[in-house]
Amino acid sequence: MPSDNADDRPVSDAAGPTIAESSTPAGGNAAQTNLVFEGTSVCARIGESLASALAGAGHLVMRKTARGSERGVFCGMGVCRDCLVDIGERRNVRACMTRVEPGMAVRRAGGGSPPHEPANASTFRQLDTLTVDHPDVFVIGAGPAGLSAALSARRAGARVVLADERAKPGGQYFKQSSTGSPVDRQQDEGRRLIERALDEGVEIWSDTLVWGGFEPLDFAINRAGGTMVVRPRAAVYAGGAYEKPWPVPGWVLPGVMTTGAAQTMWRSDRRLAGKRILIAGNGPLNLQLASELLAGGAEVVAIVEAAPSPRSFLNAARMVLSAPGLVMQGLRYLANCRRAGVPLLYGSQVGAIVQTTAGLEVHVAGVNERSLAADIVCLGYGFLPSNELLRAMGARCRYDSGAGHSVVERTAECETSITGLFAIGDCTGLNGARVALAEGTLAGAAAAQRAGFGSPARETLRNASASLRRHRRFQKALWSVYQPLMNSAPAADDTIVCRCEEVSRGDILSALEEGYHTAASIKQRTRLGMGHCQGRYCGTILSALLEQNGHEVDDHSGFAPRFPVKPVPIGSLALDPAEL
Amino acid sequence: MTGKPLPHKAEVVIVGGGVVGLALAGFLAEGGREVALFDAGGPAGSTANAGSLHVQMQSRFLRMYPEQVPALESGLHLYPKAVDFWHDLERKLGADFGMKMTGGLMVAETDDQLDFLRKKAARERALGLDSEILERNDLNRVAPYIGPAIVGAELCANEGKLNPLQANAAIRSWALARGAAIFDSVAVSALVPDGSEIAVETASGKLGARQVVIAAAYGSRSLLEPFGYKLAIEAEPLHVNITERAAPFIGHLVQHAERPITLKQFASGHVVIGGGWPANLGHGRGFPTVELASIIGNATLAQHIVPTVSNLHIIRTWAGVNTPTDGKSILGPVEGVPGLFVAIPGDAGYTLGPLCASLVADCVLGRTPAEDLVPYSPARFRKDNAARPSAL
Repeated sequence: MPSDNADDRPVSDAAGPTIAESSTPAGGNAAQTNLVFEGTSVCARIGESLASALAGAGHLVMRKTARGSERGVFCGMGVCRDCLVDIGERRNVRACMTRVEPGMAVRRAGGGSPPHEPANASTFRQLDTLTVDHPDVFVIGAGPAGLSAALSARRAGARVVLADERAKPGGQYFKQSSTGSPVDRQQDEGRRLIERALDEGVEIWSDTLVWGGFEPLDFAINRAGGTMVVRPRAAVYAGGAYEKPWPVPGWVLPGVMTTGAAQTMWRSDRRLAGKRILIAGNGPLNLQLASELLAGGAEVVAIVEAAPSPRSFLNAARMVLSAPGLVMQGLRYLANCRRAGVPLLYGSQVGAIVQTTAGLEVHVAGVNERSLAADIVCLGYGFLPSNELLRAMGARCRYDSGAGHSVVERTAECETSITGLFAIGDCTGLNGARVALAEGTLAGAAAAQRAGFGSPARETLRNASASLRRHRRFQKALWSVYQPLMNSAPAADDTIVCRCEEVSRGDILSALEEGYHTAASIKQRTRLGMGHCQGRYCGTILSALLEQNGHEVDDHSGFAPRFPVKPVPIGSLALDPAEL
Repeated sequence: MTGKPLPHKAEVVIVGGGVVGLALAGFLAEGGREVALFDAGGPAGSTANAGSLHVQMQSRFLRMYPEQVPALESGLHLYPKAVDFWHDLERKLGADFGMKMTGGLMVAETDDQLDFLRKKAARERALGLDSEILERNDLNRVAPYIGPAIVGAELCANEGKLNPLQANAAIRSWALARGAAIFDSVAVSALVPDGSEIAVETASGKLGARQVVIAAAYGSRSLLEPFGYKLAIEAEPLHVNITERAAPFIGHLVQHAERPITLKQFASGHVVIGGGWPANLGHGRGFPTVELASIIGNATLAQHIVPTVSNLHIIRTWAGVNTPTDGKSILGPVEGVPGLFVAIPGDAGYTLGPLCASLVADCVLGRTPAEDLVPYSPARFRKDNAARPSAL
């Protein structure tokens, strides 16, 4: 999520006591355990993510593709599935979404092994019949938007269930510490918001995947190894966002990951995946990450920023006026990097990454062209909204060609074209945490009203609306400063476009030459988008390639959205066969 | 191929770019005809099949439509021929369809079901199929992946599977290479006889054709209605699931004696699970949509028959639209409309597709088809035909 970090007053509460920023390992007092990875013992902390434990111990290769290429942690948030491992008899499990437990035996996922017969039926919860839960308001996604919406609907008197796929609420922005107390004010703000939601009676369901939505407003969820249905009177979708792909040669190599993935490893688990880290991309999150990793003892090789050196004082002034705290925070990050002597390469991008015996060699293209050696490369070239569930449910969208993704249509109260289904935060566009918090307050209240509860105090809504306007202004100014010149279509034929099925730009151009010119037919011809991540990364690259080749792209020309919106094991779907 | 200008004339127009239409385009172009094919969807848009090569009679249909059993039996000999035809086509095109002739298992959970399969297998053997009954001990040897709930099965050696993604693409390339013109995303709205020609009306304009073949599955009905034909076909959207890759562990095409399921593993390692669970046409959405009950039901049944699939993730579901007929294919000239032909395969239309296309292509080219097509004539659906004796 675009980082408009910290220092600004939380929308729904006055700032509470804050804690000092610190680089003390949060996991210092967490219980340790030894897990076995490919026959080697790895020391890990109970509760941290398996991906952090493995990468922190230098195990960057997690899975092998069908063609034998190596992959490791990329997105760090359960989207790309390049960190798949087998744990005991469980197959193709995401290391980044799995907490370390004592006695884990972990192997690389190969895609080539037959499934294991479950040693006992308890791996999945076989249900006699589908359980149906009836909350007044169902909120999906426990980041800033979802937490705020849940709290707002709860305050209106609704019974609220808040579901989140991760083990802890907070989402990508409030990234909660896995093993100890909050390490910074951003985490602390999140912790307080979560505690308030729990205190006021919001039911938070963690480790819960919402994988389908069916008419009229039935949600299929996967929880504790089984499937159930949530049938609310109104629902608020706050699915957040994930990083845009940056398809250059070598972007699939182990050790190349998103800025968010590296940040999660550090902020949640106090792990560094390597010593020498290069941070590349576009936007303020990269500065924040550099500042955090420096404090953690990493050597930041360079910050490669796609935008030109900032010159527009007008936009800077607009930003200062709308959110002075956020600007100050940004300047502090910048000062930290300068003090540590980190080269800041404006107007430049990562052009290619090559695996060498000593690590990764990064070719930087643009104004500051050069080659740099690194152990880890972080790519943060903007975000795509996680709106698959909304699209698959049939919420009306329009395609934003400039942004390269679909945008869901909403009313002023954030209701989609499906009555009773609201959408807020970064899944609707990319406006950051402050906007998400304000939209949550408004949409949570509106959803509660749809569910039959009274309207909240007018002052609350007025404050939220004012905050929303202010922060939307800030975001507009922020992204004019960081507006880069770039095209997300790769230039070389052998560059991988589809990470999962290993489809290259050349494969797509061949299909175009054969007369396949729609996303659906190119998918059938090349297998692009048919893998584990379900087209989340290659879809936008394909749209760029289609436009480049003179084909019109609209909301219907992408991949048709399919259920389940994330892969689910068959065992977690099955009922007692006598029920059929 | 969007925006390609429409010709004013074509010798033969084919309506429908599924496996039947694409194969017809290839055969007719090879026969020297100038061919224009129109499909309402995008390229490969109407080919959503899951790639089973069905030969044995599917219990689902025997039980759902007992009145159709004589029709099914009378056309049964076409199925092994259709599978052979797929082999010949793969060889002829020098392509890889990912075909695997592993045989098909129809499993039974109860002695009653196994008895039903015994009778069915005996009937099929009499009609020339290679069917046998496997007791549980045989199953342990032949198909150890089948779970303990299964007491026995019918094994039909004529069955198998292919990868429709590979096959469809290869057939399309072949048709194009032979000179067929393919117009995607151009719907044909009406066919109007006009002297010695048929005027083909499309969303992008009109063209005249000497001959027209309707290979539009359920979409054929509205095109034929103005000529006094009322085809007994209905769009039947069906649910399909596909899993992540796994090393080969399921050899056969697996079905059930009583419950709706097909389950098989492609050469690519993906397991495809379908077999008759309902989906929606998704009116107004632009694509068919799936139902929660079908995902749950299909997954439950799959795990019940092959317990090891429990650990596999379903990556994607979709709805393919099936076109059930009265139990038999609808093939050949349309009486009363010179130059107009129909090519709609019966049950298991993908299996029958290329063979049916070849038989109708022979009619169009004025050759004698290798099968007598009279029993498959669309004449049985002529409205003024009620008094005539059945064509069965």
